[in-house]
Amino acid sequence: MQGPKSLEPFFDPSAVAVIGVSNDPTKIGSIIFGNFLRPGFRGNVYPVNPKHKSVLGKKCYTSVKGISRSVDLAVIAVPAQAVIQVVEDCVEKGVKGVIIISGGFKETGPEGAEREEELKKIVAESNIRIIGPNCLGVYNPSSMVDTFFLPEEKAGRPKIGFISFVSQSGAFALSTMDWMAYQGVGISKCISYGNGCDVNEVDLIRYLADDPATKVIVIYTEGITDGRKFMEEARNTIIKKPILVVKAGKTKKGSVAALSHTGTMAGSDKIYEAAFKQSGVIRAEGFQDLFDMANTLSLQPPAPGNRILVITNGGGAGVMIVDACEICGLEVPELPSHVQRKLKEQFPPHFSTKNPIDLTGDAYDLGFGFALDEAFLRYDGVDGAIICLLLQVPKLTVKVADIIADASFKSHKPIVACCMGGEYTANVARDIEKRGGPVFPTPKRAVDAIWSLVKYGENLKRGDKR
Amino acid sequence: MKPLTSGIIKEALEQGCFALLETEAKDICKEYGIPTTKQRIAKSTIEALEISQDIGFPVVLKIVSPDIIHKTETGGVILDVKNTKEVAESFAKILANVKKSRPEARIVGVMVQEAAPKSTEVIVGAFEDPNFGSTIMFGLGGTYVEVLEDVVYRVAPITKKEAEDMVREIKAYPILSGYRGGKADISTVIDILLKVSELVTDFPEIREIDLNPIMVYEKGAKVVDARIFLSK
Repeated sequence: MQGPKSLEPFFDPSAVAVIGVSNDPTKIGSIIFGNFLRPGFRGNVYPVNPKHKSVLGKKCYTSVKGISRSVDLAVIAVPAQAVIQVVEDCVEKGVKGVIIISGGFKETGPEGAEREEELKKIVAESNIRIIGPNCLGVYNPSSMVDTFFLPEEKAGRPKIGFISFVSQSGAFALSTMDWMAYQGVGISKCISYGNGCDVNEVDLIRYLADDPATKVIVIYTEGITDGRKFMEEARNTIIKKPILVVKAGKTKKGSVAALSHTGTMAGSDKIYEAAFKQSGVIRAEGFQDLFDMANTLSLQPPAPGNRILVITNGGGAGVMIVDACEICGLEVPELPSHVQRKLKEQFPPHFSTKNPIDLTGDAYDLGFGFALDEAFLRYDGVDGAIICLLLQVPKLTVKVADIIADASFKSHKPIVACCMGGEYTANVARDIEKRGGPVFPTPKRAVDAIWSLVKYGENLKRGDKR
Repeated sequence: MKPLTSGIIKEALEQGCFALLETEAKDICKEYGIPTTKQRIAKSTIEALEISQDIGFPVVLKIVSPDIIHKTETGGVILDVKNTKEVAESFAKILANVKKSRPEARIVGVMVQEAAPKSTEVIVGAFEDPNFGSTIMFGLGGTYVEVLEDVVYRVAPITKKEAEDMVREIKAYPILSGYRGGKADISTVIDILLKVSELVTDFPEIREIDLNPIMVYEKGAKVVDARIFLSK
């Protein structure tokens, strides 16, 4: 995928020009330039500013055209009025990708909109690609491309992971990244594309679909420009990897022009809902939901069906899980007698073996291992498992984390855990998470997470048929 | 491509007509295999009498005019017309009503339509969404759509599976599927959804379709009122 219009230069450039760097380290251009000086970025970086001979101890160029070596990526942080000229210089220089951080385009009114039209014209007439304007750009921890202009001490940067995040909103991208860094959730690539004058969510889905470092694509959008293209690209992608979307803004712009009752819903959020369903995109309701699902999808395999096994040592928690399963269309089928017989041979008579399997307050580490082995790994009548641990009981120890991780490693079906409790529980939960098992503090969140794996499994099958 | 539909749309656009006549909308339905009530346009009382006897009583009389979209509001609809005497009276009354409420309206005639027996009512529609293009809508008629907004959508063209999902997804599905015995012919509803999807996919000129209501019986269904609007 290294064609002339490829997006590769945005994510792994060998030479970057930062345009609009000054000696004031708090200026946007200077922060971005500083980001590229951090260890980890392997390419060359050149500061550009016609007013300076040197900045931050480095030689400064008056124009991108003055740089003698080739430049793949230019990051532009100059006032809006100067942007067009700078982009034209980049075209002349043969720069492949441009990220325009600057605002002052269609988001500000007719004058800005006209400026944005000029950018579109430049894209149409050359080989250059543009991310932005009015955006934060790209964060890719594996190549250390980081055009986010917020200082690291206030806005954390996540470690390398498998989730790629595409956001129309810069603020949402920024706060999410900060939160992910704090939570220890890794990221593959984060792209804030702002006004999307050239590169938009459809281009980015296409790129990330073929990106081996991305396992899950997460999208934040307030409105999709070309719904049909989005659906087509999503349908092609979900047979390779899941797409999660958060859609904000419930407009009814079409309703004014409607002639009949049917027409009043044009432009409504319900159409988005339908389009997401039809194209196999999983919609998250909010921030927490989004990242519970994204994390789970990046760690666990898709579920081959909707039959869930519940293993717990708390009867009440088990009932809550069964309720939550029922509400979102997951089944919790009773285990067949041959499986129950095996469990009964091993367990004391007061353990319940139906489903949920309830090991009660007498639960012990190996009991969970045995139940997982007989009723999940060796039995194909269930498609996923929720392990709900109440770690407060006497015989359960931190070793149960190893047992769950071991079962998860052996299984081609997903396992998620639910650990309810305080500090000790949180520590064990972290231990399970370190070994790749998603853990949630409430039954509802655990069920929603496994639901996303069931949905992903269904989408994979549907993708085959279409 | 369906020749009759193509002809109706072409002619309407040439004349600058963006709201098709109900008879035209129903002819299009018929060409696509969507079941509708029986109806014909009468230009005189005599014709109205003949048609009503052909169709069988009771009948419904409706004004046919390219300028009148909301027929009931103009006094252009009379329901449950039971015999020839009532046909003659109603024919005259509709023309008088419309002349009074909309004197400038061009009158094509009066449509004499079979009065479809009451049953479970559903709505099938299609419209042009600004982001996704042609979109299909489905809901249970009357209060369910208007008060509870119990409607579902899919972007066209839809597959059979998607049409099935639409029908099952409305909250009022149990009413359709046979709550207390009264069953409705769901497979015909699914078929209508697929045919509306085919129609709007064949003709991007169509901006809106409103088949409202459709009476669904134990076996089969009938579109009672049909509207089609074209893009300007």
